Amino acid sequence: MRLEGKVALISGGARGMGAAEAHLFAREGASVVIADVLEDEGRQVEAQISEAGGQAIFLRLDVTSEPDWIQAVAAAVSRFGKLDILVNNAGVGGGGRTVEETTEEGWDSVMDVNAKGVFLGTKAAIPEMRRAGGGSIINISSIYGLVGSGGASAYHASKGAVRLLTKSTAIQYAGEGIRANSVHPGFIETPMTAAIRADPDRNQRLLSGTPVGRLGVPEDVAYGVLFLASDESSFMTGSELVIDGGWTAH
Amino acid sequence: MMERRPRLEGKVAIVTGAGSSGPGIGNGKATAVLFAREGAKVLLVDAAEERAIETQAMINEEGGEASVFQADVTNSGHCRLMVEAAVERYGRLDILDNNVGISRRGTVVEVDEEDWDQVMTVNVKSVVLCSRYAIPKMIDGGGGSIINISSIAALRAHSSTPYSTSKAAVIGLTMSMAADHGRDNIRVNCIAPGLVYTPMVAPRMDDTLRDRRKTASPLDTEGEAWDIGHAAVYLASDEARWVSGIVLPVDAGLLTLSPVTYDSMSQQTRY
Repeated sequence: MRLEGKVALISGGARGMGAAEAHLFAREGASVVIADVLEDEGRQVEAQISEAGGQAIFLRLDVTSEPDWIQAVAAAVSRFGKLDILVNNAGVGGGGRTVEETTEEGWDSVMDVNAKGVFLGTKAAIPEMRRAGGGSIINISSIYGLVGSGGASAYHASKGAVRLLTKSTAIQYAGEGIRANSVHPGFIETPMTAAIRADPDRNQRLLSGTPVGRLGVPEDVAYGVLFLASDESSFMTGSELVIDGGWTAH
Repeated sequence: MMERRPRLEGKVAIVTGAGSSGPGIGNGKATAVLFAREGAKVLLVDAAEERAIETQAMINEEGGEASVFQADVTNSGHCRLMVEAAVERYGRLDILDNNVGISRRGTVVEVDEEDWDQVMTVNVKSVVLCSRYAIPKMIDGGGGSIINISSIAALRAHSSTPYSTSKAAVIGLTMSMAADHGRDNIRVNCIAPGLVYTPMVAPRMDDTLRDRRKTASPLDTEGEAWDIGHAAVYLASDEARWVSGIVLPVDAGLLTLSPVTYDSMSQQTRY
């Protein structure tokens, strides 16, 4: 198994890509901490993994709270003995469209979850990874962290921040065997993109812009995250893995 | 727990440059061995037959399936026969790993015109020729995955202008092919290896240089061909079925560094 004996914490693990990562990690032998503000859905993922014979616990985590992070990392270590893998997956959309249409509150709420949440998670996890002799941090950015669009100003800014925070983390902690890489999903069939997909015109535009000819599913991203979490990618740090059906290739 | 199936089960792959140019394990050899280990049947292509035979022996010893095809991938006729051989022997074609490459150094003032043409032919044209014949067979089978090998030298000046230029061309070719053939369910990606220690570079290396290359990277580890092979397995597998047109650096973090940081890091002996 590709993650045998490893302990992973996944923020936003209750649904969408985070839930797919939790299932896949458990199947590959990891003990998984599903951390999310969505308690019912998180406990459901926990139960499904246990039923399949995997190891998982659910923890309530608001990624914008430093005390929550400290508690979550401590709980992971007390339950499973250490922490090897952190997936900073929690994220929100919204926040407004153009710069003029974005309110200060909208900006702050998106930056808080998407950028500050990754910072706080990384900060909380590093000491435990150091104690474990190394680790792998996977930050979920977006293709919107690589290229611009006509709107989503705060979202672009937050995902661009994740991209560079990842590279800085990679350089700062590489000497201690802690790797950090970012993943850049395109349009994935998750609750976050439900509104866009429900609009036939916008859905068609997404499809026609994707060379592979379909939108992504959470498993598409989860397999990329698995590769970065595993020792197979032990020579990779500071890299960007784009999973977008070819969207940014043209 | 669910039983884990080999990740390339039932697939047929071509790896060009599947032999190693010296003792040890090159990228093509490592990739072919890992493909076979994950259940793929592998056609081992090399201009030097005996090198591919060594790779075949390694795969057969592990119980994997592979056979050798001698070909010059800059020759269109050879590329056609190579693809036909894969389909004749194994019934289909799912994966093409365009791994063949050579290195040439020198500025535009220094480089011989013949050397320039040769590096562009071997590193770029071979990808076109192999893919030209592989794509229709992949379409027959419902799709496929093409993996090209670029380099971090494509993205940073590297005092090897012909090589860098050819590897940058591989990135452009990868993106165009991804857009052109996405609707045929063919994915095209490239790997950008960093300073990996392989038989190709070994003759130019001494211990001091190897150590400098290692310490220049944030991870302070020396890359091996296996690192490239693992990335190729991911891109070849259905796990990456929504991944197309990307550049995947496998470089111990070198590309994250600004020139200033790179310089100070390469001066350090240890962290």
